[in-house]
Amino acid sequence: MKKIDKAMADAYSREKNKYIVIFLSIWLVVSFGVVLFAESLQFQVPVLGFPFHYFMGAQGSILTFIILLFINAKVSDRIDQKYGIDEEANEQLSYGKTADH
Amino acid sequence: MENVQFLVSLGLILLTFAIYIGIAIYNKARQTSDFYVAGRGIPPAFNGMAIGADWMSAASFIGMAGTVMLLGYDGLAYIMGWTGGYLLLTFLLAPQLRKYGRYTVPEFIGDRYRSHTARVIAAVCTIIISFTYSIGQLSGSGVVIGRLLEVDAKVGTLIGVVLIAFYAAFGGMKGITWTQVAQYIILIIAYLIPVIFMSLQITNNPLPWVSYGQVVSELGEIDRQLGLSEYFAPFENGSKWQFMALMFTLMAGTAGLPHVIVRFYTVSTMKAARWSGAWALLFIGLLYLSAPAYAAFSRFILMRNVVGQPIDELPAWTETWINTNLLQIADHNGDGILQWDELMISNDIVVMATPEIANLGIFVIGLMAAGAMAAALSTAGGLMISISSSFAHDIYYRVLRPNASDKNRLAVGRITIVAATVLAGLIALNPPGVITQIVAWAFALASGTFFPALLLGVWWKRANGPGVISGMLVGLFVTLSYIFAAQSGSFMIAGIQDTGAGVFGAAAAIITIVVVSLRTKAPTQKVQEEVVDLRYPEQMTYKDGDVWMNNK
Repeated sequence: MKKIDKAMADAYSREKNKYIVIFLSIWLVVSFGVVLFAESLQFQVPVLGFPFHYFMGAQGSILTFIILLFINAKVSDRIDQKYGIDEEANEQLSYGKTADH
Repeated sequence: MENVQFLVSLGLILLTFAIYIGIAIYNKARQTSDFYVAGRGIPPAFNGMAIGADWMSAASFIGMAGTVMLLGYDGLAYIMGWTGGYLLLTFLLAPQLRKYGRYTVPEFIGDRYRSHTARVIAAVCTIIISFTYSIGQLSGSGVVIGRLLEVDAKVGTLIGVVLIAFYAAFGGMKGITWTQVAQYIILIIAYLIPVIFMSLQITNNPLPWVSYGQVVSELGEIDRQLGLSEYFAPFENGSKWQFMALMFTLMAGTAGLPHVIVRFYTVSTMKAARWSGAWALLFIGLLYLSAPAYAAFSRFILMRNVVGQPIDELPAWTETWINTNLLQIADHNGDGILQWDELMISNDIVVMATPEIANLGIFVIGLMAAGAMAAALSTAGGLMISISSSFAHDIYYRVLRPNASDKNRLAVGRITIVAATVLAGLIALNPPGVITQIVAWAFALASGTFFPALLLGVWWKRANGPGVISGMLVGLFVTLSYIFAAQSGSFMIAGIQDTGAGVFGAAAAIITIVVVSLRTKAPTQKVQEEVVDLRYPEQMTYKDGDVWMNNK
């Protein structure tokens, strides 16, 4: 085991948390935000033909959720890589951790 | 014709059951760790499918499209609520709980808060929530078996009980994980085929997701001409606050449901947990994106082919459903023509009846039956595993008999499954409410108890045992009281109904945990470091105020 510089460890968790906050803000806007203003968001969506508030409830929000989850998985992988995390080592470590229980 | 339909439906249901049971037997669990969490080696995409099958219950498969069809825009709270919760789960809870590495949710709560009392309360909550939820699944499977095999719904429920008890008890989680992958594939095919055919029939476009927007707008036009409120008009069936409270309850409940969270223990690492969450929502989203299309097409067909027709010339399918009492037709104004408000259609029959209404043929109808059974059985199977692990592992092994052998615990687990299934089946013979309502109560209870306990347990190191014990009890009490009060109509805040009770339960529990924790002793240094440690990947360890890197 090797000690990591405090500043670097903090930077890691700050970076992770920053993305969680960004993603959850988008989540809040496309779901609760649109519902809050549903009455005034009834204009037609071009091509698809829905009223906008209905489109967001039935498709827009769900597609956003799915995309956010995949972006999160990808971004987290990249952050881990940047800080030198090796997934194979993770697998070994977490396997040992559950077996000793 | 009736006979051919019966044989095709039965044949398809039996064929799919043979597949599930075959997989369960092939993977028969031999070790305790296999039984509960499948030895933690399921690849994320497959785990995502299994979460999807676990997740999509009789309520999603049979009830949701009908709910959207009847409630219009207001029904979309279910669509957004049951998908949006996966973000809370995947960002805030699943990877962290995976790193903590325990078998069950009560075990996490008991160990994190260093409290046997909290463990037992959590185990009891798991049993209450999963049990409530499974009653809905069993009565749903009873309706499907009853309608399609043309036997009494009670007989159908009993058949479901036997099947669930059999493969949950003998397959364990590993059997169920692979069985659920098969179930997901069957249920999604069964759901998509009718939507695609209807889309072709009505719009000449094989992609319902692209084509039904026009239909929604047209439905609004038809409603306007009939003097009804437009199909897509917001908040016609409940207040805006009810919409948001319901949506919150379903989201927070999703993040706190023990049988869903336990799925994330079956993956190998935190990274795999994040990818499992993403895959799960992709597979779940496929059904949730299609449900509003299903609703719009069904309503369009009803509006065009049934409403406005002479009552004595209605199509033949109406008769079979009128016989089940789930469809009622009454000529209030005596003009011999059926109006929309003279048609009383139960939301639970929309999905099952639409293939008949749209004349999609006996094979598609049989496939729907097999898909609906897959939805009901897979969810019930996951719920039963949760109940059995809470009892056999958290109460029996961790509290009552710490010396119990592996074999002994496995036997207790199996007995629990059989007992719980039979008991839930007995209640399902005369269900205490509508299926979707029972399911919403289970979500409200999860958002009032587990969601706050897990969220603060992972993200607030100062949260302690006394805090979480009082928090879960207060959350449980507030949620239950609000459900009963709103049900009886004696008490309501901002028009929020019983289904939105979780918002009050969660708020009360969070406040209680924070206040009580701050007024009692802080957790030990070791516990606080364990909590901070959950923010880092497996290779990093937080200890003595520093982060350490482990190079194998």
